[in-house]
Amino acid sequence: MAENSQETDEQLLDRIGRDVLLAQERKRGVLAFRSAVMFMAPAAFIVSAVLLFPVVYNVYLSFTKWKRFKGYDEFAGFGNYERLTTNHFFTEAFANTAIWVAASITLPLLLGLGLALLLRNVPGEGLFKTIIFIPRILAPTAVAVLWYYVYAPDGIVNWFLGLFLPGDVDIGWLYQDNTITPSIIATFVWQSVGLVMVLILLGLAAIPRDPIEAATIDGATPFQVFRHIVLPLLSPTILVVTILSVLAGFTAFDLLWVMGTSYPGQRTLSLAVFMYFEAFQKGSWAFGSAIAVVIGFVVLSVTWIQALLQNHIDKMTK
Amino acid sequence: MTFKTKIAAAVLGAGALWASGAAADVELVHDKGFWSEALQEMGDAAGEMTGNRIIETAYANPEQYKAFIYTSAASDDMPNMFTWWTGGVYEDLVDTGQIAPLDDVWDAMIARGDFDAGLRDFYSVGDHVYGVPLHLSRWVALYNKEHFKSVGLDEPQTWEDLVEDAAKLKAAGITPFHATTQDGWRGFIWFQEIMIRTNPEAYAGLHDGSVAYDSEPVRAAFEIWSDWYQKGYFTDPRSNDEVADFARGEGAIYLIGDWAVGLVEAAGMKSGEDFSAFIVPNMDPKLPSSTILEGAPLVLSVAGMKDPDTLAGLEFFVSVDGANAWAKASGNSIGNANAEAPNAIVEKINADVAEKGTIAIDRWWEAVPAELQGEFVAEFNRFMLDPTMDTAEQVMSNLQSLNEEYWAEN
Repeated sequence: MAENSQETDEQLLDRIGRDVLLAQERKRGVLAFRSAVMFMAPAAFIVSAVLLFPVVYNVYLSFTKWKRFKGYDEFAGFGNYERLTTNHFFTEAFANTAIWVAASITLPLLLGLGLALLLRNVPGEGLFKTIIFIPRILAPTAVAVLWYYVYAPDGIVNWFLGLFLPGDVDIGWLYQDNTITPSIIATFVWQSVGLVMVLILLGLAAIPRDPIEAATIDGATPFQVFRHIVLPLLSPTILVVTILSVLAGFTAFDLLWVMGTSYPGQRTLSLAVFMYFEAFQKGSWAFGSAIAVVIGFVVLSVTWIQALLQNHIDKMTK
Repeated sequence: MTFKTKIAAAVLGAGALWASGAAADVELVHDKGFWSEALQEMGDAAGEMTGNRIIETAYANPEQYKAFIYTSAASDDMPNMFTWWTGGVYEDLVDTGQIAPLDDVWDAMIARGDFDAGLRDFYSVGDHVYGVPLHLSRWVALYNKEHFKSVGLDEPQTWEDLVEDAAKLKAAGITPFHATTQDGWRGFIWFQEIMIRTNPEAYAGLHDGSVAYDSEPVRAAFEIWSDWYQKGYFTDPRSNDEVADFARGEGAIYLIGDWAVGLVEAAGMKSGEDFSAFIVPNMDPKLPSSTILEGAPLVLSVAGMKDPDTLAGLEFFVSVDGANAWAKASGNSIGNANAEAPNAIVEKINADVAEKGTIAIDRWWEAVPAELQGEFVAEFNRFMLDPTMDTAEQVMSNLQSLNEEYWAEN
């Protein structure tokens, strides 16, 4: 029967014309492809013009000798990258950025997680969440200016400490080696913790109640529930938060630039500040572009490692 | 007149008005946001007096502005008229070939007797002059007249007078010198002043790499600076309201360009009555009287030079009417000898300069290679925040390390 049916099909194809059918199929495919290209074209154009082209162009610039008005079209090979390896400001900037990344991952995450757990289902939850989230909607530069005055020698912080300490409190929070980085990090945490808290609250809301209730009935303590159920189920949210924090840490600029302006040392020199300083202040565009490429490469690498870790965690928890 | 005719007449009239307005508007691009209103006032005056209204376009900060000009040069599309700085970055700008020589403009300025021929050199690169002064400021010591009067002081005529006056002020409970690290760039001011008062030759040598930043003349300057700090002669360097602090009476002597006179007046003091100025005397009385001269240039691109309206705008700026309008709007002088002095202090300093034959010295900021400015001034700020000789030694070592590296490559 099958052979007869196949023969019938073959006969049918012969009668209609196999080539005609194939041509019609190809035409439909071409039309579908053209439609898809037409619909994608605006988005593809915008992504290429706004995102891809500047990135590719920046990589190109990093291989030139462009400095102020000269060297725009002169090829430097890997000269700018070699210069990075011997520049001690780059080493300082890299070390400071590492501190920033570590702080921007751990502190907002721990505080955001704590606040999210603390504020869930408590009276006035909405008000508290709003208050904690407000700093996030302020421009980082405005926040930096605000805290610049808070930390001023005659600012609120010293005034407040003066209520408890003897004599005049005259700490130059933004003028001392040992206080400037913690002070700016505290400002960063103040501004970023609201968003982290909201993201974690969304993650918590998405966790099903069944496994938690089952574990509770089986006698699990709240910590055990958190450790073995909530935390693993929250890991996708935590991954998103850490990726955002890594990006924020590596690109830290506004707060450091504004609050560290008057500070002379290299403590506030992050990779992003170093890049801006070289490119915009000195006009070493090619060298600045090389720093930007390094930042991009490091961020991509770290994010890729995070994604691998997440895959690993997912497999372990299944 | 029919309805259609009325409409046609209105359209033609509006078109003619627009056309005449567009032809007379000249753009001036700059990074001096703090003079934005003053520049527009001046631009409006240009419109009223000549028909060529100057429209100012301010960039938020010098870095963004430099980036704009650098990229404009790369695409061969510079603004017609814009401001810049003297020093190495000025020479770099001229090297692009996109800036128009202003030799004819200067010939006319000097022929009218408006400007001193010597000033032309200040804006010259090679055989041609490429800029006219946007402002011309001498760096002098502004002083609080009430503080001086309360201690019975006159303006110091010698270095010894200055040191004695500082001691008397301190003894009377008044901090003699006002200096801060505000905005990150001010750290060089007192270093520059002490260097030109103690060893102007070494000061000049610092800028071509022939004198080291850890050499004896520099160490001697730091020793004076540190000693004055240890004696409590300076105000808190962490202030971020320098001008207002001086106007409030903090510090008796404030070393700054005379462009700050207008700012101090805006903060509440009246020039000539509440505060005046003197040229700081040299340590060695045999040295000629000198002041730091700062003068941002106003330049035209090659395309701007070809535009008659733009050229007319620039010519108005350096005319007597233009200088007076600018002085009234901003309190600045552009050095036009036939214009009125913008305030009593500039008038007095002009008289002092004429009497003493005071010579002009390049400001450290413009004289030092542009690539070193940022790191160097950060080191000076570091010293001001911890003004001991131990810090000074570290600062000198860091400065010289960067200096050596730069001059080895350039």
